Amino acid sequence: MRRLDTPQVNTWCKGCGNFGILAAFKNAVTRLDSEGMSADGIVITCGIGCHGKIFDYINLSGFYGLHGRAVALAQGIKLANPALRVVCFSGDGDSMGEGLEHILFAAKRNMDITIILHNNGVYGLTTGQFSPVMAPGYKGLSTPFGSIESPFAVQPLLMEAGATFLARTYSVKLDHVQEMIHRAIVHQGFAMVEVLQPCVSYNNTYTLYNEKTALLSDIPTDEETARRLAKSADPIHLGIFRQEDKPTYHELLYGDHNPHLERRSDHERIALLKSIFDQG
Amino acid sequence: MSDFKPSPLQTEGHRYTIIIAGKAGEGIKKAAQVIAQILDRHGRYVFQTDDYQSLIKGGHNFSVVSSDTEPIYNAYSDADILISFDQKSLDQHAPSLAPDALLFHNSDDGVSDIGYGLPLSTMMKHFFGKDGNISVSAVAIACAVLGINADETLDIVRQNYRHNSEPNAQYAKAIHDLIKIPAINLPTAHNKPSHTLLSGNQLIALGAYSAGLDFYYSYPMTPASSILHYLAAMRDKLGVYAIHAESEVAVINMAVGTAFAGCRVAVGSSGGGMALMQEGFSLCGMAEVPMLFILSSRPGPATGVSTYTAQEDLFFALHQGHGEFPRIVATPDGFERAFILARELMNLAWQTQSPCILLTEKHLSESSAGVELPSDIKINPDAPPEPPNDDYQRYCITESGVSPLAFPPAKHSIKWNSHEHLESGLRTDRMDAMIAIKDKRECKYLTIEQAVKNHQRIAVYGHGSPLVICYGSTTLELREAIKHLDQKVSIIALIYLEPFPADLLAEYDGLNAIIVEHSTHGSLRLFLEEKTRLNIIGDIRKYDGRPFEPKDLAKRLQEVINASS
Repeated sequence: MRRLDTPQVNTWCKGCGNFGILAAFKNAVTRLDSEGMSADGIVITCGIGCHGKIFDYINLSGFYGLHGRAVALAQGIKLANPALRVVCFSGDGDSMGEGLEHILFAAKRNMDITIILHNNGVYGLTTGQFSPVMAPGYKGLSTPFGSIESPFAVQPLLMEAGATFLARTYSVKLDHVQEMIHRAIVHQGFAMVEVLQPCVSYNNTYTLYNEKTALLSDIPTDEETARRLAKSADPIHLGIFRQEDKPTYHELLYGDHNPHLERRSDHERIALLKSIFDQG
Repeated sequence: MSDFKPSPLQTEGHRYTIIIAGKAGEGIKKAAQVIAQILDRHGRYVFQTDDYQSLIKGGHNFSVVSSDTEPIYNAYSDADILISFDQKSLDQHAPSLAPDALLFHNSDDGVSDIGYGLPLSTMMKHFFGKDGNISVSAVAIACAVLGINADETLDIVRQNYRHNSEPNAQYAKAIHDLIKIPAINLPTAHNKPSHTLLSGNQLIALGAYSAGLDFYYSYPMTPASSILHYLAAMRDKLGVYAIHAESEVAVINMAVGTAFAGCRVAVGSSGGGMALMQEGFSLCGMAEVPMLFILSSRPGPATGVSTYTAQEDLFFALHQGHGEFPRIVATPDGFERAFILARELMNLAWQTQSPCILLTEKHLSESSAGVELPSDIKINPDAPPEPPNDDYQRYCITESGVSPLAFPPAKHSIKWNSHEHLESGLRTDRMDAMIAIKDKRECKYLTIEQAVKNHQRIAVYGHGSPLVICYGSTTLELREAIKHLDQKVSIIALIYLEPFPADLLAEYDGLNAIIVEHSTHGSLRLFLEEKTRLNIIGDIRKYDGRPFEPKDLAKRLQEVINASS
């Protein structure tokens, strides 16, 4: 097993929820590797924001993408080589704002990727503007008189879009975060783990989450219950809201083919072109 | 049918033009393609093009098949045969018929004093019991006029119209039986081999395929959409996956992921979609992503005019993406070049790990001709990259500026980055590291310039004075136009626009030149004034969305020449 840390100096704020996600993710990868899923074939992508810095702190192959586009990148990687397990780190500004279309479409397609959604309710790195999941009234630099928009509800939104694995966890509960990430990566199809993550600088929710979060005992068996539990503000439920089997996009597209490993040779291509041109 | 004595061979040379006109949704384009293929097999050079509006049913569409015994580079508007399905088509096209043209019109929709009226709609209802694909009648008429017998006509229709094949065949036969004029035996070219008719877009797709295309991502936008459609339809044959994504932003970012994972990939759109891909273009510069962009222009700005042609995107293509980084921009001057250039650019993209743009226009994208597969295609040695060793660094600094590629899974991490980065691919904002990696990318300008020199960067057609300078499908229009010009001129078509072939253009320093382009603002002229020392004596601009008519263009060229002498 490779070392998972890198020489990069960590620049997250002291007490940032991201530390919990980083530690839990490394544990999950170590466990997956020991179970036979080599870390060599786990590929990560991320967008831009505090969450994205995780790319530099994990010694895995991957692509540090544009703001909002990590999910699109992840899909392109998966389609080229379906033998890779692709994990996409994204923020609530990144994937509920700038890149909302991509997460919805990835869920709609049941693309076989895992999204770890760092949800802190704000844009931290750009100094604390409200994010699309922030409750109304938040006063930030872009909304000095309080935001007047209603928030997206992450889980119901992705349920509607067709996600086949949906979970929520809290960055403080390391074992639970690790367990949810592990199950998401093992899941065949679109998996999203929403990690509630306090931003110590702009949205310190430690007290709220410590008091209000509660673990689900079971995976809800019907849609309505899942939706109700996911939307509940008191308690804020942690656990798996949905887990179901459905054919994935790449299976429907090309079965068990692997476009990268089974690329057509130039000779085959030219021979085929001759037949196309000479059909006249 | 009235008495009608055709003598179409009195048209200039052996050129012959068939126009089919009617409403959208009547299958006019398909019929024109079938007729064009018949003429190609008959041994004639063919140019087929479509003029259509952005609507699904109704309006006015027409398709043109011009053919000749010598290579023909553009369509003509004076029909030797006009097949008209409605009054609007008669009104528009009957006044510009060639001398002694044949006119066939649908007597169920339109009145004409000349030509043959045939009850095409009534007969269609007879065979289909409802409205059907009326333009099958155009195939039947063309077959009858060209002396193709009823049985062969039936075969042609059955082969080309698989859907409702029998009623279509019977309909075609009934029309064929009605046409009792003596057949025209069009002369053929000596020893011309026959080929599948392919559009510019199809040739671009196949050229990219020849260089390893595995994936094509796109969002529909005319006139690039037919690349998506063609590759999607050819999936099982070519093994290329054409993915219609949620937006152009998704398109480019998915494509970048696919390149990262080791598959060759292209994206395509028109100006609007390309504008949405700009940030992704810049990403390809920063992360050094091998990527082929196909930009097929239509009149702009904004939504512009969807289904017509233009060359307004020259500077847009040259200046894609924020920040400073090298790229290649090139434009095909004809059908063969569409294939060759897509192939070259795909290979250059991977050789230099840079974004490459193939700039074309609706006129080439959606016109068709029979072309030969280039015989000198070299198979890439293309050894798979070495698996990364322990000290592998994605952006390791090399003399050429190009670092070795490797793909996951891998023991050592392969990290690509949209941020400024260290050689390892980890992010940085350190001064010395910024300078080092920016210098590395800067080295690629020279590498690219040298790589591009291995390819044909300009094309010269004809020999004379003045020079006529153009790029893209305007070259085709000019090559056809100069057949009608008394003065001998040299057409210089720019193929590579960036890096600019300054060394080649320097040979023409001080010479008189006329610029021809589909632009209001004169972009090409401005570009050449900046980049060359040509003595520009005038320009010809056309910006009504339509291609030049060859004889009109010849007249305009003559006017500019006369005015300057």
